Order: sequence, then C-alpha cells, then structure tokens
Amino acid sequence: MERYDLIVIGAGPAGLSAAIEAAKNGLKPIVFDENARPGGQLFKQIHKFFGSKEHKAKIRGFKIGDDLLAEASENGVQVVLNATVMGLYPEKEVTVKIGEEIHHYKGDSILTATGASENMVPFRGWTTPGVIGAGAAQTMMNLHHIKPGNKVLMLGSGNVGLVVSYQLLQAGCEVVAVVDAAPRIGGYGVHAAKIARCGVPFYLSNTIVEVTGDEAVDGVTIAEVDRNFQFIPGTEKHFEVDTVCVAVGLSPMAQLLKQAGCKMKDTPGGFIPECDEYGATSVPGIFAAGDVAGIEEASSAMIEGRIAGAAIANYLGYLDADGLKEKENSLEDALGSLRQGMFAPKNRGKLVTKTEEGIDTSMNLLEKGFVADDEIERYPGVTHTVGIHPVMECTQNIPCNPCQDACAKGCISIGANITSLPVVKNDVKCIGCGMCVASCSGQAIFLVDEDTGDGYGTVTLPYEFLPLPETGEKGIALGRDGKKVCEAEVVSVRSAKAFDHTNLLTIRVPSDMTMKARFYKRA
Amino acid sequence: MKDIQEKRKEIGPFIPGPDDDLLICRCEEVTKGEIRQAVHAGMFTIEEIRRFLRCGMGLCQGQTCGKLVKGIVARELQVSPAEIEPATSRAPMRPTEMRIMAKDGGDDRE
Repeated sequence: MERYDLIVIGAGPAGLSAAIEAAKNGLKPIVFDENARPGGQLFKQIHKFFGSKEHKAKIRGFKIGDDLLAEASENGVQVVLNATVMGLYPEKEVTVKIGEEIHHYKGDSILTATGASENMVPFRGWTTPGVIGAGAAQTMMNLHHIKPGNKVLMLGSGNVGLVVSYQLLQAGCEVVAVVDAAPRIGGYGVHAAKIARCGVPFYLSNTIVEVTGDEAVDGVTIAEVDRNFQFIPGTEKHFEVDTVCVAVGLSPMAQLLKQAGCKMKDTPGGFIPECDEYGATSVPGIFAAGDVAGIEEASSAMIEGRIAGAAIANYLGYLDADGLKEKENSLEDALGSLRQGMFAPKNRGKLVTKTEEGIDTSMNLLEKGFVADDEIERYPGVTHTVGIHPVMECTQNIPCNPCQDACAKGCISIGANITSLPVVKNDVKCIGCGMCVASCSGQAIFLVDEDTGDGYGTVTLPYEFLPLPETGEKGIALGRDGKKVCEAEVVSVRSAKAFDHTNLLTIRVPSDMTMKARFYKRA
Repeated sequence: MKDIQEKRKEIGPFIPGPDDDLLICRCEEVTKGEIRQAVHAGMFTIEEIRRFLRCGMGLCQGQTCGKLVKGIVARELQVSPAEIEPATSRAPMRPTEMRIMAKDGGDDRE
C-alpha cells in the first residue's frame, strides 16, 4: 500500500489549493479525482468572477482553473484523474478505483474536497428527457460546445440560475422565463439585470406545475404559489419549450466523511461535517474544504483550501504554529470579506431593505430583475455631468472591487470596505477608455455621454455576444427591462486584450434615451 | 424515535394523493406513493425505506433522490427533515462492477 503525507479527494478549487499549499510546505500530496479533467466546476465557468483584485476578481473561471493547475504542477502536486475514491476509513486509508482495479492508499492526513451535487425538484414530467440540471447545461455548452436546446425555461433565480441563463443566451438559446417559487430573486442583482435587459422575463412566486412531452420536453406549465408554496388555481401559464433547466441549489457530497466516522450535522444547507476554522473534522487528520463543508462559491473554496493545506502542514509538523497563524491571518481577512454584504450567509433568505449606505434597495430589481428608471438615480455610481462619464448601476453591497483599480484616472472609488457601492467622482475627467466597463464582472458599468451636441448622445455598453455588431449598423436599443426604447446606431465596437473578451459597444441614441438604453439588439 | 405504533396512530392512516405516481427515485423507479406507504407501514428511517424499496440504491446512489425521499418522509411524519435519521454511508461510494471489486489490490496490507 502506497503512503502519502496528504491524500486529497477532489481536484476542484478547494482540493488543488490545499494540495498546493501543503506542497509548498514540503508535504508530498496526491490528489484523486473521478473526472477525466481536473478543476472541478471551474472550467465550466466562463464568466468573470467577483471579489477583490488580490483574489482573482474579474478573471474568468476557466482561467483561474488554468492558473491553479499550473501552480499545482510547479509545486509537484501529483493529480490522478479517472480515479474514483470508493471508501474512506477512519485510519485514513482510502480505496480508489483506477482503471479496472481497486487500489489502497494510506494518508498521514486526508483532505476531502468532493464538492456538491445539484438538487432536483420533482414535478409531473420531471424525468422527461430535456429536463436538465443547470450544471449539466453548463457542461454541455462550455465544455463540450453543445447547445442544450433552443427554447429554455430556467427554474431557480439564484446565481447559478442567472449565470447559466446568460450563458444560454450567449450560446444562442432563447430563455423564455426565469421562474422561482421565492418572492424575490435569489442571486446578485447585476446577474439578473444582465439577462433582464436582453428581454428575459422573471416570474417570482411561481413554480413548475408540469412538463409535457412523451419522448422529450415540448412544453412547461408554471403557476403562482401562495406563501405556503401551494399553487393558486387559475394562474397557470404555458410555455412551448424544448428544455427545462433546474437550478434549485446544491447539496454537499459528504458521504465519504460520514463513512469515515466524522461527526456530521444536518443544516438547511445540507448534511455537512462539523469542522473547526481550519477545516479539521472530528477525526484527527481528516479535513474538509470547499462545498463539501458547506455550499459557497469557488473563490471561498480556494481560500478555505489554502487554510486547510496550511493546517495540515501544521498537523504533520511541517509548519509551526506561528507560520500557520500568519497564513491564517492573511487568508481569514479575504475569506471574511467574501462573506460580507447583502448576500452574506447571515442574510440568507432575508429581505435587506437598505444598502450599507442607507439607500433604499431597488424592489424592482428583486422582483423583476432590473432597476426601474425612477430608482436608478439614487445610487452613488449614477451621476450626470457634461461629457463622457461612467454610470455604474451597481446597487447592492456585494464583495467586489476591481472597478476602482480599473480607472487609471481615479474616477471610481469604493474605499476600504469591499462591499461598498462604487462612487463616481465627477471632479476627475473620464477619458472614455472603457477599462471600468470591461472590468465589471456584473456588466453594470456604462459610459454615457448625454449630449454630443446634435440632440443625440452615446452609450457604451459591455457586450459578450457573437457575432459582434458592425460599426454603422442600425438596430434597437433596449431598456433595463429588455423592452425597446428607441432605434440605435452602432458607432464603435472595441475589442482589446485587456478587456478579456468583453467587447465595448457604443451606440448613438437620442439624448433623452441615454439614461434608458442599456442593451443593443441587432435588427 | 418514539414507539412506532404510537407514531403510526399519530400520523393517521395513509391517504392516497394525486401525485402518488410521481417517480422520486429514477434509478430504481420508486414512486412517491410507495415511499409514503412505507412510512405508514412503520418505516421511519431512510435506512429501512432504502432496504425495503431500494430507493437511493441505484446508479446515482441517492445523489438525486436522497434529499427528496427525506423530505417526503419528514412531511409524512410531520417532523423537520433534520430529524430524519440518515442512511448509513458505506463503500463503494460509486456503483462498481463485481469484476472490478474482485481485483482489489489491497491484499498487500500489513
């Protein structure tokens, strides 16, 4: 039986980060993953991540995956793919299926980073081919380049549902509706706004009654639900679709930890191991990090992994207590900041009516997916001035700040608190470079010139659809609600390496439409 | 869990529902009605129901239906899902063919 200092189960963001950290401290780790590719869910993530500049914000998920793999290889981390861990025993022995055989390995320590699986919700017809998980849709689109369907209804308005809906639009699918039984949108407002302005309607307090179709999905009926989640008769709506995407949360895959005898707890977020702040379970030497220890997102999983990796190095005597403390201090702040703001774990399910700045929350954003025209003016990123200037439609306190560093001129300020709303400083002259527009992971920044002198103005918006519109072409400007506001002419299309595939589309619209036009639809 | 007969009396008899034919465990084709009936027959833990109906013992090993079964059992017993005793976790964690199980290279254990 082979022995390793550390056996990591799962080569996703948490597992790889822990293995790297352990290897940097001199341990010999081995990482097993049942998939053919490492990186967990990172390689499906084609959107730019939120967070701080120090922690990979505005970098696309798959690029973070590439960086992590490179770092793992530089540090001599051994990753074994197509290797399914079948059992984990309290003596820190694992059985692994590799090829056609079962192999046994013994670890002086074990890190379980097995992630999570998608939840399902049973409705009539839920087993019909064409009802798929949002994760499956991402796998098809972003890994295998297969369009999951043509007309899709998304169930679930959390970040997964919103992000995948946007990716479906990018893949050329029509998203007929985003439906959620909850009365308010669960994910980031900026993710919702991104699809609302493309014309996707939201149906909150609604859920699926049934999916129809014998061989495959041919339609779906939704209906409103009351406070007790019971259908209200007479509120049914039918959509002709070929795909229903389900994004109703994730469950930690913690069975290995339970088998190993770790103390477990049942929480609203799933069945998870009891862990200390380093990820140590109740069984000495067995650790957990990432979604398996409680659902969060990839950025926190990577930091948790680093902390667990350092803690394991300390447990095995490779890192002294001071070294661990130092590592922990540098990472705890970052982890803490990711858990701040309106979407902090403590606010889950709660209605936050005011921002940290004391500004009223946009209820329209929570219920319809976009900030209404009469609500937008109250946010500090939305200002009026002569000439081109950024309009930042960032209205919720989320931990993200790449925009303030994107502006070389210093137009944008967030300050020390990463969740603060961005403030536009009009005493600094905007040069219209567009770096802020491209840096915003929420695609919430626009460059607006309200009056170019002839009764018209320009709006520069982030654009991530192909094929790109051409300069000079005429189309339709859509409002935040996805409805037509006016005709628009494309005056420039900018693509630069620094924009990282977010193209900057500048459209010319009448002056009085510059604060309304937020998307461009080709005629 | 308290006395099984007492609890059965408390939750009342099985009343058929309009969605009893809804498949819950796809792998083993177990319906909502079968799970509800099992509860009324006195099976209150996931372990018992799993052995009796095989729900959660198919290809996905309960990854999809585990939470759903738990929710149905909890509703039937009128308790929170957190109070339902979870099933045992045991190897192999993923479905494995017997010919592979037979090639267990672990016989060099000391």
